[in-house]
Amino acid sequence: MTTTTPPSEHDIHAYVDGHLDSAHRSEVERYLARHAEQAEEVHGWRQDAQQLRTLLAGDLAPAPGLDPILVRETSRRRRAQRLAVAAALFVCLAVGSIAGWTARGVGTGDAPMADAMQAYRLLAMDHGVGMDITTGNETDLRAWLAGRIGSDIRLPDLADAGFRPIGGRLFATEQGPAGMVLYDDGNGHTVSFYVRPPGPARHLLPRGAREEGGLLASYWSDGGHNYAVVSTSTEAGRGAAERVVARSI
Amino acid sequence: MSDPRIDEALRSMLPRMRRFVLWLSRDAHAADDLVQSAVERALSRWHTRRDEESLRGWLFAILYRLFLDGKRRAARQALLLGSISNDEPTWPSAERVALAHSTLAAFAALPVEQRSLLLWITVEGMSYREVADILKVPIGTVMSRLSRARRALRQLGEGDPESPSLRLLK
Repeated sequence: MTTTTPPSEHDIHAYVDGHLDSAHRSEVERYLARHAEQAEEVHGWRQDAQQLRTLLAGDLAPAPGLDPILVRETSRRRRAQRLAVAAALFVCLAVGSIAGWTARGVGTGDAPMADAMQAYRLLAMDHGVGMDITTGNETDLRAWLAGRIGSDIRLPDLADAGFRPIGGRLFATEQGPAGMVLYDDGNGHTVSFYVRPPGPARHLLPRGAREEGGLLASYWSDGGHNYAVVSTSTEAGRGAAERVVARSI
Repeated sequence: MSDPRIDEALRSMLPRMRRFVLWLSRDAHAADDLVQSAVERALSRWHTRRDEESLRGWLFAILYRLFLDGKRRAARQALLLGSISNDEPTWPSAERVALAHSTLAAFAALPVEQRSLLLWITVEGMSYREVADILKVPIGTVMSRLSRARRALRQLGEGDPESPSLRLLK
């Protein structure tokens, strides 16, 4: 009778799971034959394992709904969807940014002197209704402008072009107080001379002109002020504006 | 990207994967969702699989991680909502009947880790090495955990009247 050392935990499990070769198996069996209590436990484990295998064999049903081809298709579609959402977000962001960049400083920059055009619309169309000062006297107008906007502003003399001032009005703008003097040639043509500070961003303007909504605005900066001359964009208005600008600069 | 050989290999594992998760989650819908996520993950990470790794072990590891992640998420959510979640699983009625078998009832009552261990080793016939790789523990640890699982199954199956397995049968 040999004194067998007890089999390791590994060998006991391997015995239960049938992983042992015959030599090892009979070694474990010999040991268990002499140790009834442990033999009973191991026997129970074997029984449980067999039962589990048998009972769970019925759960091996095919799962056609989970086929890799379907899963591939689903995840591809989901990826495409996510991409579409991301793209849409990107487009929104881009449009927003571009619009924001384009519209940056409306009234100060990229739509230069839009406030001057608005002021013209307000006053010239009604031919001077709602003026702050109604006078044809250029000295008075110059003093009025000097007191409110700046003393170095040269009011253009348009008498030989047939235009006479009819009055002026002040506007509050984001850039500071703006003054507008309206000229009239007696034939229904009006031209405005508009001046204001460049604003806290010191947005000075290169010389330029633009048309919008039937109006023509010519603008420039000089001596720390931004200027605009606004007229209708008709031929007569154009000619008048050119003369005003030529005399002002 | 689409390789019929990969699809075929995965397809042949599907019933086993589904059975494993079914007994892990004890919920048929959750099981299908989990297997689908696992297949998706397997497809997207196919290239990361090491050659010496068995496909079976690799897939079961993915399933097991996904299951645990889901459980953790659910527990966190329950904690956030302040609800005491009713842990009673939603067994389809057919499986409720099957549970009448005391071994199955005992098995269903085991903690998730012991259930996984027995599913892998006794039902799937996986090697201890494969299981140690999935759990990322030494083989010795697998052995001692397996002993505990087998003892627990015995004990529950033999019908301690206060055992949770019998409450499951109500």
